[in-house]
Amino acid sequence: MLDTTIGAGSAQGATQLGWTGVVRFLHFTPRAFLPMRAAEAIALVAGRGIEGDRYMIGNEEGFYSHKPEEGRQVTLFELETLVALKRDAGIELGPEEHRRNVTVEGVPLNHLVGRRFWLGETLLEATRLSVPCRHIEEITGKAIFDPLINRSGLNCRILQGGIVRVGDTVRNAA
Amino acid sequence: MTARPITTVKTIVTGIEEAGAGTKLFTLADPDQWELPPFKPGAHIDLHLPNGLVRTYSLCNEPADNARYVIAVKREAEGRGGSRALHDDVRVGEVIGVSLPRGGLEAGADIARCVFVAGGIGVTPFLSMALHLARTKQADFKLHLIVREEVPLAAQLGPLIKEGRVVVHRTSRTGRPDLAALVGEGGSATMVACCGPEGMIDDFERVTAAWPAANVHIERFIAAAPVLDPDAQPFTLSLSRTGTEIQVRAGQTMLAALQEGGIDIATSCCGGICGACKVGWLEGKPVHRDRILSPYERERYLMACVAGSDADRLVLDL
Ligand code: FES
Repeated sequence: MLDTTIGAGSAQGATQLGWTGVVRFLHFTPRAFLPMRAAEAIALVAGRGIEGDRYMIGNEEGFYSHKPEEGRQVTLFELETLVALKRDAGIELGPEEHRRNVTVEGVPLNHLVGRRFWLGETLLEATRLSVPCRHIEEITGKAIFDPLINRSGLNCRILQGGIVRVGDTVRNAA
Repeated sequence: MTARPITTVKTIVTGIEEAGAGTKLFTLADPDQWELPPFKPGAHIDLHLPNGLVRTYSLCNEPADNARYVIAVKREAEGRGGSRALHDDVRVGEVIGVSLPRGGLEAGADIARCVFVAGGIGVTPFLSMALHLARTKQADFKLHLIVREEVPLAAQLGPLIKEGRVVVHRTSRTGRPDLAALVGEGGSATMVACCGPEGMIDDFERVTAAWPAANVHIERFIAAAPVLDPDAQPFTLSLSRTGTEIQVRAGQTMLAALQEGGIDIATSCCGGICGACKVGWLEGKPVHRDRILSPYERERYLMACVAGSDADRLVLDL
C-alpha cells in the first residue's frame, strides 16, 4: 500500500515558501488498546480532541497514560517514516499501527514544535514530539521502539476545529 | 487527577450460555462493539474479575471474529475461586478488564497436517484453532477429544464432529485411547498439540519426545510463568518521605511495583527515553538502563520504568 501511495500527487511544487504536505491516512479509536479504525474524514474539536477518539479531553476512558494532556488532542505521523522503517529495519508497519491519528506526507514534523500550521481547515499548534512507547510494541508485536526514536510523530493542540479529510493540504501558518 | 493508567482492555459481558459438562460460555465485547485487539488461534487472555482475582482463559472463538472474545469456563467447586466467581456472580452487562491476548498456535506454511489431543475442557484452545483451520483450509487437521462421558461445548463442536474432524473418545466406554496411535508418525509437515490434565500431558510428552520440538505444542492449564531474566533479583524500595516499603518482584519493573503500591508516577514511553518517570534516589545502587540521563544526573535520578537495583534496598525521594 505504501508503495502506491508514496509520491502519488504529493505536494511537490509548492516548496518555495517552506513546505506543503498532504493528509494520507486518518485513524481513531475510542479506547486504549483497541485497534484503530481508518476514516475518510475526522472531526476536530478546538481545545478538546477528535470526536470519538480516546484523547478527546473529557473522555475519561481513553488514556493509556494517567495524565490526560491538553497538548495531545491530535497526533501526527510521517508516511516517510513508515517507508524508512520498511527500508532500513525490514519492518512493515501499517498506518493504523503507529497509533497516531493523522499520517501526513511532505511535512517536517520534527521541526514544527512550538509552531502553528493548517491541517485542512483546522489550525493546530505543535506542542511536543511524540516518543515511541513500549505499549505500541506490545500491541503490534513488532520491535519498533528503537527504530522510532526521534521519529515517532508530533502531538498537537487544536486551536481551530473543523473537518479533516484524506487528501487535505497541510501548510505552515507562520 | 486520581485516574489510574489504563492497563487492561475494557470489555462487557454480552452473553452467558450453558455449554454442558458444568461449563459456561462467556462472551466479552467492547461496550460499543468496536473491534477488539487481534489474537492468534488458541491465544489466551487474563480476566481481571470484579472480586480482584486475575485468571487466564483460552479464547475459543475464531480469530477472524474480531468483535468478541469467547471463553469457556468449567465450574471447579474445589478450584481457586476464579471459575466459581464467573459462574456464580458474573452477569450479562458486567464490566471486565482483560489483558492483551497472548500466545496461540500458528501452523507455519510448511505444516500440512495438525493433530490435536484435548482432555475435557482442555478442548478450548483447539476449538479456536479448529474453526480457524476449517475456515482457512490452511492445513488438514484432526482433534481428538478425550472425555469421561459428557462432551463439553457439544453445540460448538457438533458440526466438526459430524464432519469427522473431531473424534470423541469416551473413557467410560472404551478406556483410554493409545496416544501414540492418535498422533501417528512425526514429520516436519505435521504439528501436534495437547491440552488437558497433567497425566495426559506427561504421556503426550513421552509419545512425542523424538519429534522436532518446533512441531510439538503443549498447553497447560496453569498459565506458564512469564519469561524472566534469570539474573533478575527482587528488591525493596523504601520511600523516604512516607517511610513506605514496596517490594519489587524478580522480573517486575520498579514502575509497575510503585503503581501497584498506589504511587502516582507519570509515564509515557516506558522504555527509558522520555523522562516522564524520572525519580530521585538517595541510597542504594541503581542499575540505570535508561538512555538519556548523564553520568552526573545518574548520581541523583533514575528512570523508574527501566531502572533496577544492584542491592537489596533502594531509597527513593518519594
Ligand atoms: S516512561 Fe519514559 S523514561 Fe520512563
